[in-house]
Amino acid sequence: MSSFITTLLGAEDPSQSISWILPEQAEYVYGGLSSIIIFGLLWKFAGPQIKKAMAARTERIQKELDSSASARQTAEEEAGRIRSALGDINAERSRILAEADAQAASLLSEGRARIEVEMRDLQTKAEADIAAAMSRSSDELRAEIARLSSIAAERAVSSALNDGTKQGLVEDFISKVGA
Amino acid sequence: MSSTVDSYARALVDIAAAEGNLSAVEDELYRVARVFETNDQLRSTLTDETLPIERRQGVVEQLLGGKASNTTTQIVSFIIGNGRGRDLPAIVDAIVNRASSADNKEVAVVRTAVALSDDQQRRLADALVKKTGKQINLKVVVDPSVLGGIVATVGDTVIDGSVRSRLDQLKSRL
Repeated sequence: MSSFITTLLGAEDPSQSISWILPEQAEYVYGGLSSIIIFGLLWKFAGPQIKKAMAARTERIQKELDSSASARQTAEEEAGRIRSALGDINAERSRILAEADAQAASLLSEGRARIEVEMRDLQTKAEADIAAAMSRSSDELRAEIARLSSIAAERAVSSALNDGTKQGLVEDFISKVGA
Repeated sequence: MSSTVDSYARALVDIAAAEGNLSAVEDELYRVARVFETNDQLRSTLTDETLPIERRQGVVEQLLGGKASNTTTQIVSFIIGNGRGRDLPAIVDAIVNRASSADNKEVAVVRTAVALSDDQQRRLADALVKKTGKQINLKVVVDPSVLGGIVATVGDTVIDGSVRSRLDQLKSRL
């Protein structure tokens, strides 16, 4: 500062030669020593702190790098698992579809077989019902004919049975029982 | 047979036997019982609890008076008067069986479409005696449903020579 002020005052003095760029020679010595002392002090006192801060920063960065690597590895593993799961899903889907196809085919086959059996049973039952109905109708017709014939026979016999005939039947009975 | 019916039968047989006309009385009673069984109006009248007993007995005396012996009329009137109208056929059957047993006879119930003459009844009784080997107490029932011929029942033996049975056989064959 004093040098600078001196330089500025010197500019007022035309007898002095003034260099706007280079300092005086003594100032090189003072400035150099001052710089050395300052750098030495800085090296002495600030150096460890700087080294420590740099080491901490390096460690932090290393941790971040490690963390990033770990995250990347985890992500890659997850991606692998997802890819694997995707593959499993595709396989499962294929298996399920194949199983469903097989089951559907089996059900269809069983259904056809069952329907055929039921159709045969129904046909057999229908034929039996028809036969039974025919037999029943025939029996009913036969019974009705028998009933009407019986009534007709009874009426015919009743009309033919006069007292003489009845007495004759009584005499026949007595003769047969007593024979 | 219930003990009540049997008691009535035993007492009434004794009465008829004491009167000395058991055979005629049991024969008349048998005919009355058969009419009682087949005539719904007579049966409902004589068993109607709402009618006074005197009136029911009057009906009996009106129906049998002059047509049957006094003993028969009194026995039927007695049974009706004691409110045993529903048991009349059973009591009469018990009387007939008891009277027949007393004479070592078997009751032969003969159902026929026409009434039999005395000669026919005698010949029929002889024929049944010959057929069954038992002494017979013949009871003839005129039953139009027989149509013709005779159905004779002696104990458990049934000799069926009726037109009805032949028609039934024909019906079965048809």
